[in-house]
Amino acid sequence: MARSDKVSRDAGIEVIGLVRRFKDVEAVAGIDLTISPGEIYGFLGPNGAGKSTTVHMLTTLLPPSAGRATVAGFDVVKQGSKVRASIGAALQEAALDPFLTGREHLRLGASLHGIRGTERKQLIERLLERVGLTTAGDRKVRTYSGGMKRRLDLALALIHDPSILFLDEPTTGLDPQSRSALWTEVARLAREEGVTVFLTTQYLEEADVLADRVGIIDHGHIVAEGTPGDLKAQIGKSTVEVVPENHDELGRLRELLLRFGEETAARPGAFAVQLNGKGELPSVIRALDTESLRAAEINLHQPTLDDVFLAKTGRTLEGAEEQA
Amino acid sequence: MISVALGLAYRQLTVLFKNPSLFLPPMLFPLMNFMSFAGGLSRLRHVPGFDFHSGYTAFTFVFVLLQSAAFGGVFAGFGIARDFEYGFARRLLVSAPQRSGLILGYALSALTRWAMIAIVLTTVALIGGMQVGGNGIDLFGMYALAMIFNIVGLLWACGVAMRFRSIQSGPLMQTPVFLLLFLSPVYVPLSLLTGWIHGVARVNPLTFLLEAGRGFIDGHPTQLAAAFGVSAALVVFFAFWARTGLARAERAG
Repeated sequence: MARSDKVSRDAGIEVIGLVRRFKDVEAVAGIDLTISPGEIYGFLGPNGAGKSTTVHMLTTLLPPSAGRATVAGFDVVKQGSKVRASIGAALQEAALDPFLTGREHLRLGASLHGIRGTERKQLIERLLERVGLTTAGDRKVRTYSGGMKRRLDLALALIHDPSILFLDEPTTGLDPQSRSALWTEVARLAREEGVTVFLTTQYLEEADVLADRVGIIDHGHIVAEGTPGDLKAQIGKSTVEVVPENHDELGRLRELLLRFGEETAARPGAFAVQLNGKGELPSVIRALDTESLRAAEINLHQPTLDDVFLAKTGRTLEGAEEQA
Repeated sequence: MISVALGLAYRQLTVLFKNPSLFLPPMLFPLMNFMSFAGGLSRLRHVPGFDFHSGYTAFTFVFVLLQSAAFGGVFAGFGIARDFEYGFARRLLVSAPQRSGLILGYALSALTRWAMIAIVLTTVALIGGMQVGGNGIDLFGMYALAMIFNIVGLLWACGVAMRFRSIQSGPLMQTPVFLLLFLSPVYVPLSLLTGWIHGVARVNPLTFLLEAGRGFIDGHPTQLAAAFGVSAALVVFFAFWARTGLARAERAG
């Protein structure tokens, strides 16, 4: 695809029955995905779940064993060069050359996509500025911190103005400030420039904050998919946990709270119920007041994506990490 | 494809110039060989039947030139293997729309690097008193053969590097090239070799290039069709070898 051909932003990602086997192991076991243009899709799962293998297939780094996938309207097997011209990818390990400077990396990236001359020069400066590396642009990458490498990686992924961006665990190892800056930039790319973002992450918060939709992959299968809100609503009822001021009143508290929902796990000295309906918390507080039960602490726990993961896989994401 | 090749060649050369440790060994290796062969073995010119008008220095120079070309390609292969081992190749594979351009890029950088070595080597040889019997066209032919041999060396090493994707494959890249070089008429003309080494050297493809190269520098071009025919065949064969190596790397992810 020539540089002059405008990369279409009208097509997202379509995946049908995608499979990847490594000898006897089925890393990706027949997944289906439809990601609309301009959407941020969060792909969640523990290590070894099949996230990176999926990304590698969609970015043409790995051929699928079976199934079909189109990225930006191009088949990943038959039209690999067109796929690569349409996508940007920041993979899990920021693969950078320690002997090159940030600016030289960007020059290489631009050259690979046929961007030359003044256009290349201006583009490099713009991207360095956008990722906050202008002053460090002439330093060798081996002197960069982890966060700087990640930011350069993102700039490299954006060098040819791709319509689809693959970010494979982009914030792993980043400090909170760098993570937040990267989230802001990813959100801006999708909202302002219409870039489709396929984001794999182990951080539930990241998916919650950024993703329009989330897919949860476990053992190569997509076990849940939807907007973060929908997924949480599917399994989610809020939990209220009350610590009585007087420990002797735990029995009365139990009786009272069971009127509002089913008992659930609580800390020692506390009692918790999963609320039957929405907006029950004020009723609980009113009831406590009416019954003259003084609470030392009241906690409302909203369902999280980790709860979704637990409900769909029987494990927490943290537990799955340990098993993986 | 050209954009990919030029981009990668730029990167290779940038890294090379920043790291003398990558540049000096391929430069010093042929120089030391040349000085030791041309100096220590020069009395071989007195062997009966040794008939080479331009002298032993020129005779040795052609071998060392071809040797530097082959090893220039092989050393570039080390860089390819390193790119795979350290993950940089993955960036190239995911960023380059036309991946065949990567092989071309590595070849361009290998060629540029070897050209610098060839210039230094030629300068040292001329300073050392090398006599050149051939004219400009003859010398162009000699350098063209060496250039092709550099590409052959690169394509061979590239195919190995992309199949094994580890710098541990380095010895595998070098050993066959060593064998090919030293099973050719290195120190005396083919006609003076006897026994099994003569039999092996006679069918060694490098012998055709060596004999033609020596003919060029001596001003008496010989076996040109065979030399360029063999060179073309080697390029085609090893281009296929390198491309299938790239396909292997693509399949491996």
